Amino acid sequence: MRPLEFGRLAWRSIGSHRLRSALTTLGIIIGIAAVIAFVTLGASLQAGLLGDISPDDQRNLYGWAADPETEGGPLAGAQPVFTQDDLEQVDELEDVDAAYGYMPISTQALASDGELTPQSDALIAAGPPYIRPDTIDDGRQFEMGEREAVINPAVAGQFEENVSVGDELTIVRQGGEQTSVTVVGITDSSEGLSPFEGFEPSPRVYVPTDPYYTEEVDGIGAGFGDGDGNNGDGGGGSDEADPANDDDDEPATAEDARFLAIVVEAPSADDGDIDQARDSALAVLESGDSDASELLGDDLEITMQTSTELLQQLQDILDLLQNFIVGIAAISLVVGSIGIANIMLVSVTERTREIGIMKAVGAQNRDVLGLFLTEAVVLGIIGAILGTVLGLAVGYAGAWYIDIPLVYPYEYVALAVAVGILVGVLSGLYPAWRAARTDPIDALRYE
Amino acid sequence: MATGTAVSLEHVRKTYQLAEPVHALDGVDLEIPEGSYTAIMGPSGSGKSTLMNLVGCLDTPTDGTVVVGGQDVGELDDRERTTLRGTTVGFVFQTFNLMPRLTALENVALPQLFQGIGRGERNDRARELLERVGLGDRMDHMPNELSGGQRQRVALARALVNDPTIVLADEPSGNLDTETEADVLDLFDEFHDAGTTMLVVTHERHVASRAERIVHLLDGQIERIEALDESGASPRSSAGHTNGHDPDHDHDERTGSASGANS
Repeated sequence: MRPLEFGRLAWRSIGSHRLRSALTTLGIIIGIAAVIAFVTLGASLQAGLLGDISPDDQRNLYGWAADPETEGGPLAGAQPVFTQDDLEQVDELEDVDAAYGYMPISTQALASDGELTPQSDALIAAGPPYIRPDTIDDGRQFEMGEREAVINPAVAGQFEENVSVGDELTIVRQGGEQTSVTVVGITDSSEGLSPFEGFEPSPRVYVPTDPYYTEEVDGIGAGFGDGDGNNGDGGGGSDEADPANDDDDEPATAEDARFLAIVVEAPSADDGDIDQARDSALAVLESGDSDASELLGDDLEITMQTSTELLQQLQDILDLLQNFIVGIAAISLVVGSIGIANIMLVSVTERTREIGIMKAVGAQNRDVLGLFLTEAVVLGIIGAILGTVLGLAVGYAGAWYIDIPLVYPYEYVALAVAVGILVGVLSGLYPAWRAARTDPIDALRYE
Repeated sequence: MATGTAVSLEHVRKTYQLAEPVHALDGVDLEIPEGSYTAIMGPSGSGKSTLMNLVGCLDTPTDGTVVVGGQDVGELDDRERTTLRGTTVGFVFQTFNLMPRLTALENVALPQLFQGIGRGERNDRARELLERVGLGDRMDHMPNELSGGQRQRVALARALVNDPTIVLADEPSGNLDTETEADVLDLFDEFHDAGTTMLVVTHERHVASRAERIVHLLDGQIERIEALDESGASPRSSAGHTNGHDPDHDHDERTGSASGANS
């Protein structure tokens, strides 16, 4: 007997108990729908996050030094250890396109045209390549050594009169000291440019490390020299730079500025190039020749990762959540299987006479087995398909609601159907075996 | 293959191990020639059902041999017996036993489904048989949309679909009124005349009298075999081979009784 014939007969008996069949498949529907919905959301969320990493960013390696036992995202527990010398050494490496420091600088306020808005932690000092050309909406990158800045739309729109390229902006630092910069560029979005900043939108002013950071360290050095205890000035991590100053026992100079983090640009986003750039940069930074190695000691270790790798941590959390949901769904599937097995057993008893008739007219045991197994599998597949449709719909609604690009996990749709078949086989096997073993003489006499 | 013999039973004994052994059949010899029309009568517990099960390849004898369509049923395994049953035996039951969720056509085609015959061919054959039993206009009806007589005609068509060596009918008119009973039995006659071997188990004398001979069972043994002429009368009867007691003196009374059904 052919599978198609089994399917036809199975469909007939499922169709004759519509409500019962529908309720039976509910467990499967819920289980599959839960998995599909969360996998869809997870994949969409992942795509949304990875989509934030521009192709130009994929070759950037973000490095910082922290206690290896520190858990958390980028810059967690980071200490400023990299000097300008270190950066230059790395920059000169053959495997590296560019390297520059990264340092967040605390601020009090931003002012434009005499209008003051309070703003802390808005200043980020980095190298010019940090402003990737594809992120600039208007203007250009700042240049090293110039009093220039690139701002994001959140800053530009913060003042009554929009700040535009060419305008002057005044930055009020923690100590109350004021610096003015010329805005030379505006980025296209207010989201962070790198994992160091986080991806959430926030007002940010990007400036060259020289003069802004080195100048500030000078200020701190002077502060210490005066002994006025103004050691909170640097904000961020700059007070950790102090030991370096103490060691040298001389006023901090531009050369002694320690950066919280380093950004290394590999020649391309190719995995091999990235690994090579990483290895070379780490070799230089961890060798005894570098200034950073003095501070690394046993406590600190340099982490150097791409945006994609850094996002992996977030991905790990998502995966954990997803595994949790899949676990719950698995329970639902087990309950669903028991439901199908139960209904199939009832069905076998109910149809004892039919089994007798079929055997009397020449149905082999395997025909009867196949027939009932097919019925269970059809129930499983129906549950899987309905569950998939429901799950995709919920995933779609969820993705639309939290505004992320929708990604359909097609391989999970195939997996869902496979699971449906598996559930059908497992739950139908015993009832079908019982049906196949029915003695036709007894079955024909059964009322 | 024993030519000319559809079914033969030799020294057949069937014992059920209940609280104490029960001999449902106790040494039965019977030969059913091809193209014959045999009725089996006997009171409840006389072994009719057991005989039906054996001839229908649903069961195997404890002792002796049952040969159906040239094959010794006792020698076959379960699968082979099922195949033999499907191809050489057609069943007609008192309660019709149609599949409730299949149409008349699908019911008739069902035995061929299990023989692996394609749908088109199956349906052609089923249609032809339904036409012959006078249900050409009821093919797509469900059993619950058919009258008792119509259902039994569907069952007869189904029994014939694989061109069986023998058609076994167990009380085929037990659930029918007099008029439809006559229609169905006329159909039996028709198929018998066309060459089908018929074996009918019944309580009712007037049903049995349509046959060429009546085998009377009593306590698991053949009491006597009664040959009938065309009119259904009993010109002579012969005792069964293994008959332990001589019932000659009471058979006239039985023959004359119109209500043998309740014995």
